[in-house]
Amino acid sequence: MSDVHQPLVKVDGLEKYFWENDSLLDRLLGEDPIAVRAVDGVSFDIREGETLGLVGESGCGKSTTGETLLRLQEPTGGAVEFEGNNVYDLEGKDLTAFRREAQVVFQDPFSSLDPRMTIGRIVQQPLDVHEVGSKAERRERVRDLLERVGLAAEHADRYPHEFSGGQRQRIGIARALALEPEFIVLDEPTSALDVSVQAQVLNLLDDLQADFGLTYLLISHDLSVIRHVCDRVAVMYLGEIVEIGPSEEIFGEPKHPYTKALLESVPRASTDERDRERETISGDVPSPRDPPSGCRFRTRCPEVIPPDDLEIDQSEYRAIMTLRQRVEQRAISLETVGDEDRRVDDDGEFVVENVDAFVADVKAQILETTLPPREDEAVTEALAPLAEENWDTAAERLEERYGSVCERANPDLGGGTHPAACHLVSAPGDSRSDG
Amino acid sequence: MSNVTDILRIDGLKTRFFTDNGQVNAVEDLDVRIEDGEVFGIVGESGSGKSVMALSIIDLIERPGRITDGEIWFRAPDIADELVETDAVDGDYVDLRAMSPEQRGLLRGSRFSMIFQDPMSSFNPSITVGEQIAEAVEAQRRARSNPRSLDAKSQHYGLTDYLLGGVLSSKRYVSEPSLDRAIELLELVGIPDPAERAEEYPHEYSGGMLQRAMIAQALAGEPDVLIADEPTTALDVTIQAQVLDLLAELQTETGMTILLITHNLGVVARMCDRVGVMYAGEIVERGTLGDVFDNPVHPYTQGLLGSIPDLQGVAERLQPIEGNVPSLLDHEMPDRCYFADRCPKAMEECLEHPPELAVNDRGQHATRCYLAETEYTAAKALPTDYFGATEAPAEADTAPEEPTATDGGDHQ
Amino acid sequence: MISKRLKQSLRSELRTSLMAKIGLVLILLILIVAMFAPFLAPHHPTETRVSDDPEVDKTDLPPIGMGYETSETRLVDGEMQTVETTIEPDHSFILGTNTLGQDILSRLMYGARVSVLVGVLGALLATAIGVPYGLTAGYFGDRIDDSLMRGADMMLAFPSLVLAIALVGVFRDTDFHTQQIPDPFVLAARHDTLGSFVPRGEHVAAMPASITFPVTVTLVVALVNWVWFARVARGEAMAIRQEEYVKAAKSVGASNATIIRQHVLPNSLTPVIVLATIQVAAIILLESALSYLGFSETTLTWGYDIQQGQSAAATYWWIAFMPGMAIVIAVISINLLGDWLRDALDPSIEGEGGV
Repeated sequence: MSDVHQPLVKVDGLEKYFWENDSLLDRLLGEDPIAVRAVDGVSFDIREGETLGLVGESGCGKSTTGETLLRLQEPTGGAVEFEGNNVYDLEGKDLTAFRREAQVVFQDPFSSLDPRMTIGRIVQQPLDVHEVGSKAERRERVRDLLERVGLAAEHADRYPHEFSGGQRQRIGIARALALEPEFIVLDEPTSALDVSVQAQVLNLLDDLQADFGLTYLLISHDLSVIRHVCDRVAVMYLGEIVEIGPSEEIFGEPKHPYTKALLESVPRASTDERDRERETISGDVPSPRDPPSGCRFRTRCPEVIPPDDLEIDQSEYRAIMTLRQRVEQRAISLETVGDEDRRVDDDGEFVVENVDAFVADVKAQILETTLPPREDEAVTEALAPLAEENWDTAAERLEERYGSVCERANPDLGGGTHPAACHLVSAPGDSRSDG
Repeated sequence: MSNVTDILRIDGLKTRFFTDNGQVNAVEDLDVRIEDGEVFGIVGESGSGKSVMALSIIDLIERPGRITDGEIWFRAPDIADELVETDAVDGDYVDLRAMSPEQRGLLRGSRFSMIFQDPMSSFNPSITVGEQIAEAVEAQRRARSNPRSLDAKSQHYGLTDYLLGGVLSSKRYVSEPSLDRAIELLELVGIPDPAERAEEYPHEYSGGMLQRAMIAQALAGEPDVLIADEPTTALDVTIQAQVLDLLAELQTETGMTILLITHNLGVVARMCDRVGVMYAGEIVERGTLGDVFDNPVHPYTQGLLGSIPDLQGVAERLQPIEGNVPSLLDHEMPDRCYFADRCPKAMEECLEHPPELAVNDRGQHATRCYLAETEYTAAKALPTDYFGATEAPAEADTAPEEPTATDGGDHQ
Repeated sequence: MISKRLKQSLRSELRTSLMAKIGLVLILLILIVAMFAPFLAPHHPTETRVSDDPEVDKTDLPPIGMGYETSETRLVDGEMQTVETTIEPDHSFILGTNTLGQDILSRLMYGARVSVLVGVLGALLATAIGVPYGLTAGYFGDRIDDSLMRGADMMLAFPSLVLAIALVGVFRDTDFHTQQIPDPFVLAARHDTLGSFVPRGEHVAAMPASITFPVTVTLVVALVNWVWFARVARGEAMAIRQEEYVKAAKSVGASNATIIRQHVLPNSLTPVIVLATIQVAAIILLESALSYLGFSETTLTWGYDIQQGQSAAATYWWIAFMPGMAIVIAVISINLLGDWLRDALDPSIEGEGGV
């Protein structure tokens, strides 16, 4: 956990984009491919012997990160160094050596074992591929492995469907251990299991790490599992790492508003949970096809930074920012706001006298709070063009007054033992601009 | 029995599945009382029978399953008045099991409704969300206006509409007022821009939004009891928090009773007034949240609580429950405490199936464990390999913590 | 390959489904008839019985129980007379005879041999071409998939019969257009020493010594139908390559060839087997169509017999009807068998059986 350890794995600016609309037909029709930025410039180190947790919500790119750094998928950009060598440059013998050293345990205990192979063959497969020892030695090793993970050696002749979820996960672990690797990526190893079985598997993983000196990358959406197992934790949001640091610090004093929200959201299994005041974040995760400009969390961030010259409550500013997003995405059905007849007359002509009433209706429907008079006036004025369906003008007026640093610049992660990619943490000056 | 505030009393409910592998006792002799206006949590692992219990209440058990025994008393004075001459009435209560399927069908949606774990598969992908919710509104309105009249059922919705609907895709199946109500419901569950979203299809919704839409649909009939089966399991934590807040809000507003089924102890702690812990088809411990979480008596409850990694605490070693959930196959369910083979405190008494025993005098906290009455002493303990040797002779050579492969899979 | 579980599932599906039973019985019947045609056929299938002598002439005899009356006007002693004659079925020709006096039943039995051979070999050949093609496309995906499958789609764009006729035209002049396959039973019956061991020896010895196997047609039906196998195999491979066990195999460094052989192929076989079964029926139909149109070069097939009977279908309906029925029964029973296999092998029934 100290700097004495050299990093075993060094991930530097890893990128993995998937392309949509990229088939032959689409190209013939001249459609532009759309990039889905599953992993967008991720950097972190994993030190020898430690467990690094990678936590985030579904779709944040944590599993893709795990698979790409094992080179199960080719990256779009960036590098991963394993014991000093770039994994993506490896070929032939060196690649084979890497495949021995780095292993993976998957989430789904049903899909991760070939239903048509006996578990003996499944666990033996890595040994066959690398031609380790003689046939008899391999079989002996499989028996040892099965016993090591808490199964009976006699089970080697059975098929996966004869085992429960927890037992299958043990088989997956035995397979990962077969080649005596240094490093194992654990991709949601317990999220398909019941809690009592999860605890068995977590304990097993813990024992194996102690016995074999393994280094783990644990990918999970379950914060309590991460807390329990990991030495250090990286929090991902929409393809980026927003905060990374030692486990106690991340859970004790989280810096990034997303990390805070994530921790707040987890219901605790204790009787005082009902009375715990918590601040949940609203809205959904935006699409990685078209991530927000600047800080990617700004569309949901409760601590989004107002312009310096604006005196406004944080909650009111949040409400205005949400209103702005709705205007920018044109996600307000003008026909149903208030009374349609008031906005346009029978001939579809715009009725000037009723604009004030219309804007009042929009505010009443969308804004969750009442604003102080000065801001109310500004917002009312900005929304007036909406009556003529002039979205752009409304959006521009709002941006002019309420534009935030969070949408202009993407904060850097920064350095140190516990960096966080947030303008509140780093000074806005040293962030890169998102042209 | 005489607690007048109960909205639902379940007595001796047995639900069985008759499969090729034998009879599965998914719910075994289950008794439970649910009070009007409370949030009652059912917690258990997969295969404990908690979902089957929920489906039994709203009569959605399908072949090869069948409710074989038991009574489900539901408090509904108006229905009780109508049915007064039959066996199905006890004061203000009606026995759902004794009612005719038609009568029971009318209760679905208007008195009970249910939300499921996977919102994606609960919606028809080819009809807009708004229309699907409006359909539910329509069905309830028709049922309410006059359940016995056929005319009422075809209000605003004649044969011509039906035929046209088949030909013209733009032809709506639902009337204008129902659609308006659907939009109101979508707004109620916090969907932004509901008028626009009502015209979108399920795949255009995110998981959290769709779960909200399903809640809206369940609320269409203003039910007295909402059964929520793992409502947040498929959702991310931040979205889970939103949905739980929404459910809590709706419950305070409407005063409905919620039966919340989950495997997540945190969700139970957040939402529930009282809790029942299910294991192998029966409730092994029940009581208020405080009783069960702070003062658990049954070793299974204790084990469950000991299995979850703590978010705040330091990393201690977890205390898992050894072994696996039993198969629930009738011929593999011996007449003893079903948990005894995994129990760290198994005693000689445990070889006889325990009745439900009160833990204290207040009457709420009860458990199916002899430890409620007796102390555990090493002298009475069963030898550690007791079950390994007798219960699973074919697996005797198995490592002790994994006695046998039994999660409902088949055996060869 | 066939696990105990699979056998169980096949058996239980057979037990519960009447259609599966009917299909299986009919298929077995067709196979037995095709295989033992020399023993079962009552007459030589190509022996003609045309003569001016009404005693010897056996043309156009109706099936048993289908006697009919015909009137004939002819010059008798310088006067036109209409003579009413009753044509009685001959009991040795159960399904009647055709315009050449050949026994229809015997022809159907020998026709089954060609149909079964072409159907099964054609389907196997199509599998052998289509499955590796589809697996490669589906497993590697992206550009490889794009280019391979566009080629396959082009095959589909042609009407299969037109394509088949064109291909027959191409192969027609090759040396292997047809092949004579000697009939082992007949050879044995004619053999000096073995002959005495063959039951009904004399009868069998009188049967044709070889059957004509249309090699070109078999190749053509395979070339027309392999695309379906490619598409199914591709779909399976695309699903299987997403499975975590494939990723796990990659992560230990297994080569693509190993992964395809060990994981992708075995797990994609189920739908391929079902498809192959149903394709046998489709190929039998196609073969019948080709021989009906005269592209087959063998005259002992169902399709050819329909064509022969067609001109006289108004009066001698059975000549075309009987081989038509044979095709219908064969196709239906193969499809029933396919349904049975599909239900029994359905992966959704496989896997977890619990509640």
